Amino acid sequence: MIIKFKGVETYVGTGGKNLDNTKMTLCFIHGAGQNHLSFVQQARFFAYRGFSVIVPDMPGHGLSKGKPCKSIKENADWIYDLLISLKVKNLVVVGHSQGCLVAMELNRIYPKFLSGIVFVAGSNEIPVNQFLLDLSITNEQKASEMMVTWGHGKDGDMSINNWPGHSHFGEGRSVMSMNMSKSLNNDLNACNNYKDGVDAAKSIEVPTLAVLAKNDQMTPLKSGLKFVDLIKTCETHVLDCGHFLQSERPNELNSLLQSYLKKL
Amino acid sequence: MSENYKFDTLSLHAGHIPDQETGSRAVPIYQTTSYVFKSTEEAASLYNMEVGGHLYTRITNPTVAALEQRLAALEGGASAVACSSGMAAMHLVVSTICSSGDHIVASSKMYGANINLLQYTMPRFGVNTDFVNPNDPEAIEKAIKPNTKMVFGEVIGNPGLDIMDVPTIAEICKKKNVPLVLDATFNTPYLMQPFKHGANILVHSLTKWLGGHGIAIGGAVVNGGNFDWGDKNKFPTISGPHFALNGISFWEEFGPSALIAKIRAEGMYNFGPSLSPTNAFHLMQGIETLPLRMQKHIDNTHKLLDFLKSHEQVAWVKHPDLETHPDHEVAKRILPKGSGSIIVFGIKGGRAAGQKFIESVQLASHLANVGDAKTLLIHPGSTTHSHLSSEAMKEGGLTDDMIRLSVGLEDIDDIKKDFEKGFKAVKRLGAK
Repeated sequence: MIIKFKGVETYVGTGGKNLDNTKMTLCFIHGAGQNHLSFVQQARFFAYRGFSVIVPDMPGHGLSKGKPCKSIKENADWIYDLLISLKVKNLVVVGHSQGCLVAMELNRIYPKFLSGIVFVAGSNEIPVNQFLLDLSITNEQKASEMMVTWGHGKDGDMSINNWPGHSHFGEGRSVMSMNMSKSLNNDLNACNNYKDGVDAAKSIEVPTLAVLAKNDQMTPLKSGLKFVDLIKTCETHVLDCGHFLQSERPNELNSLLQSYLKKL
Repeated sequence: MSENYKFDTLSLHAGHIPDQETGSRAVPIYQTTSYVFKSTEEAASLYNMEVGGHLYTRITNPTVAALEQRLAALEGGASAVACSSGMAAMHLVVSTICSSGDHIVASSKMYGANINLLQYTMPRFGVNTDFVNPNDPEAIEKAIKPNTKMVFGEVIGNPGLDIMDVPTIAEICKKKNVPLVLDATFNTPYLMQPFKHGANILVHSLTKWLGGHGIAIGGAVVNGGNFDWGDKNKFPTISGPHFALNGISFWEEFGPSALIAKIRAEGMYNFGPSLSPTNAFHLMQGIETLPLRMQKHIDNTHKLLDFLKSHEQVAWVKHPDLETHPDHEVAKRILPKGSGSIIVFGIKGGRAAGQKFIESVQLASHLANVGDAKTLLIHPGSTTHSHLSSEAMKEGGLTDDMIRLSVGLEDIDDIKKDFEKGFKAVKRLGAK
């Protein structure tokens, strides 16, 4: 659905169902250069399984207008204000990549707001190399293409997809091209500049699930495993795929999420 | 480590990796109508398009999906759907995007069935088409109306071999917010990947060069994922609520692949033009050697062009790689590897001479197909395009003496020898 939020046209995916704040709400937060379409195989799945689902396009991403948030904190504030405006209660956030930093920061600055956090391909820090930062200014399309290639495991290379007829690479490029120009550079800088991850991870008190990827080149597994060690209670799983677990291993990810949510 | 595999590698591998259970190196033929659901919940989620998977072969099938994913990879597209024929693909695109009251701008120089569908069949359902010279971008722009839902043409026209200036027309379509839909059968992704030039949707007859062996009919729609369907007033069938699936908006839920999602949910589900898994397997076998075959097709075509243009009995010969072709410069720009392996030519002596030639050659087969590994010939005026009006024939550049030649992979010396037999027979006809 398109709503006016802070005077700006904002897209909030609901998985094809109306929001229902009597149910537990799952808010999916997309990664750098992505949008709500990162969670195609999660949004409807959970909306039709008794959850109220919110998948916003962050400002300047996907179908949302507005200027992209400059920092992880700004993203967390924006998400908080959005969720408050939607009168959401009993909330679990699911972040992917940069979305994990946003989820963690949201929990740090608004303690007690969340009932649970799920980190998909997460880490407490996402340093970005200077080459990619520069390329995202000089040739955004090329930078997106490189991220799509690095972001997928063997299934991406071979165009293997559980969604019949779909190409990870082709679709990945198309999703990124929907965003406002320069939003990728903005996101990459936000990730690169975020330095509060250790404190944020240590401050997590709610039950946490981390699903990491064995062949992740964007947030490497080594970094992800160090991250989950910082969290007091974190159930961790590693899937055999690349960074985009939601589309590379949707059934396994959904199943892990379901088991985790049952325990809350 | 992620790779970005190149075309030849993708032709062999895209869409399939050996499964853990059997290790089958070839893509298995899943000759099944249906799939046992693990639970009622799983069944419901597949019908509701919550996750990917297979529910019934009319809509998806693992063998067909491997073909679709290979095509999407080779074209650099976001997604694809394979179907029973190229004409089924064409109909899926038109019927998915258009509704009664809508309008199409199409090339006037196309395959007879493409013209027939738009000129005679679709108007019965309230979708009307204006046919325009594909080499006249200004005329195309002028023909686009507020209710125009697509511009349609063939990259290489059949049989006139006109070349669409795809980048120029794509710019016009972008400006006017209408998708550019191209029949890319004659070029195949080996010779040109139209999405790189701004096209939005491709239809293929896989029966031709992609399959390449004349053994299986099939088609595909390949989606570039590069068109914004968000205007609910202009594209309500994609971005507005769908009558089924609880009023789903395909654009909101599936973004760049909205068209393919809608084709599966409506076109494949309601019309049922599915591709048989065995045919998908045969077509994929062809695609594995597409780069090798296309290069040999092009090499033989160029050699045969040299032979024909210097032959005393040939009245005229037409191919975009010849400098004499009106679209030669466009062809050089957008089809640098070659402009396909169809040659059209006329024999001195007109229609009777042409008929004699076709009947006298032995190696080249007289039949209604193109893109086979074998050399093929036909007289379009009396066969593939015979349903067209004389005006449409003239507009399409069809002449009475035109022979359409699909150059095969035989040894070029043998093709030339075979043609000499035909020319000798024509000479004897003239002597009588």
